Amino acid sequence: MTTARLAIRGLAHAYALRSVLEGIDLDLPAGRVLALVGPSGCGKTTLLHLCAGLLTLQSGSLHSSYRQPAVMFQQPRLLPWKTTLDNIALGLKAAGVPRAERLARAGAMGRAVGLDTLALGQFPHALSGGMQSRAALARALALLPDLLLMDEPFSALDIGLKGQLHRMLLEHQAMHRVAVLMITHDLMEAVRLADTIAVMASDPGRIVHRLELAKPARERDDVWVYRCTADLLQVPAVRASFGLEPAMPPQQPDEDAAPRRRVNAC
Amino acid sequence: MSLLRAWAAGLPAYLWSGWGAIASLMLLLAAWEAGSAVYGPLILPDPGTTFATLGGLITSGAAWPELAATARRALAGLALAVAAGSALGMLAGVSMTASMMSRPLVTVLLGTPPIAWLVLAMLWFGASDGTPVFTVFIACFPVVFVAALQGTRTLDGHLREVATVFRLPGRMRLTDVVLPHVVSYLFPAWITALGTSWKVVVMAELLASADGVGAALAVTRSQLDTASTLAWITAVVALLLAVEYLLLEPIKRELERWRSSEAVQA
Repeated sequence: MTTARLAIRGLAHAYALRSVLEGIDLDLPAGRVLALVGPSGCGKTTLLHLCAGLLTLQSGSLHSSYRQPAVMFQQPRLLPWKTTLDNIALGLKAAGVPRAERLARAGAMGRAVGLDTLALGQFPHALSGGMQSRAALARALALLPDLLLMDEPFSALDIGLKGQLHRMLLEHQAMHRVAVLMITHDLMEAVRLADTIAVMASDPGRIVHRLELAKPARERDDVWVYRCTADLLQVPAVRASFGLEPAMPPQQPDEDAAPRRRVNAC
Repeated sequence: MSLLRAWAAGLPAYLWSGWGAIASLMLLLAAWEAGSAVYGPLILPDPGTTFATLGGLITSGAAWPELAATARRALAGLALAVAAGSALGMLAGVSMTASMMSRPLVTVLLGTPPIAWLVLAMLWFGASDGTPVFTVFIACFPVVFVAALQGTRTLDGHLREVATVFRLPGRMRLTDVVLPHVVSYLFPAWITALGTSWKVVVMAELLASADGVGAALAVTRSQLDTASTLAWITAVVALLLAVEYLLLEPIKRELERWRSSEAVQA
């Protein structure tokens, strides 16, 4: 389990003639949280879909020794004709878990993410957006994955709900040592949750900046997160990738384009 | 079995909700009565006479063999059309090429009047059961086929991805993801096809058979027996209404419980 890892080397991907990803190198060892941050359209979702096996690898290498990956998509994507409980149990049913056991496990996971018995018995269209996101999180976590792939899962939620789901995710992650690859365009969310942040720029999608955060995610408070996010936003490569004006005159623009690594900046 | 129980449990409330429909049927009867008062019994016998004639046909035992023959032919043709249309439509929906190729063929089938098929069927099958059954089949098939094709083509690609990442086995993909969606398209088409089958079978029998309601109508027409004509028409329409509103509509409601918002209380 501890030896499991996801390793990506020299990965490139193109849709027809348009290159969307180039020269991607990533490592995700067990129990770590890696956040991919970048502007819309920089190929983050393509990268995640490659990791999830939804797209065929074109060039480069992608090796995963995780045996039980799970995906949480940007939209909840619950099956509208199944109750919330049956939706959460979907992965378990596919894995052949007997009905009584999978419903018990799904129910426990649903309650752990804050869904009550009434909500579990309802169909997804009767739930609010926040409830649907909780159900989607529970559906992914119910499988007890060792790798969790998340595509901007909390981007449509208000900050209160976002904070709750962040805490649930971190608790589960710490307890089960899940490796998490999460995509976000929200720098602050990345700083709050991730052990490693990789900032991507577009055309073609590539990694322009990496940051290791040594402070454990559960010990980070708001002040620390704000300060660290502000620091990260001072990095010229990060500003350029989001199309912000330079904060200060870039000293060596050529070097800024190349991936650099900083450890524990904050 | 659970479907049967739900059907029986939902029946009283459903019947109670039918008062509006009954009121509009009563209005129709009133208009019929008024028309009969204006034009006289030879052109339009009043509802009372018609129902009395129908009662006479039923008590004398003359009605059942004819109705049974008609129902047998209609349901045989309908069953063939539903089976072939659903299966072939779903197969065609899976492939882009097949759905593009089948579209014009279906338009041709839909555009050809059933009476034209009937003439061909009379040449091919003579006075046997084959003539009405074939005509019903060919009139109902394209309706069901198009619905199955549309249902398969409109399945949300997002849900297919969910099926992939949660590693749903092929059979579960069909029963848990594809079929619930396709059935919501198919069921209304089956109900439409049922209505078509009754109309077409009576027409086919009128011209091509020696028994059945259509043949009985041919006899009453030649005897200028308007009361019996209306009695037969009433019998056919009442049977159709009973099958649709007492059997199919409650099943449809149960199958599509996930769509309606009042399902929450169940």
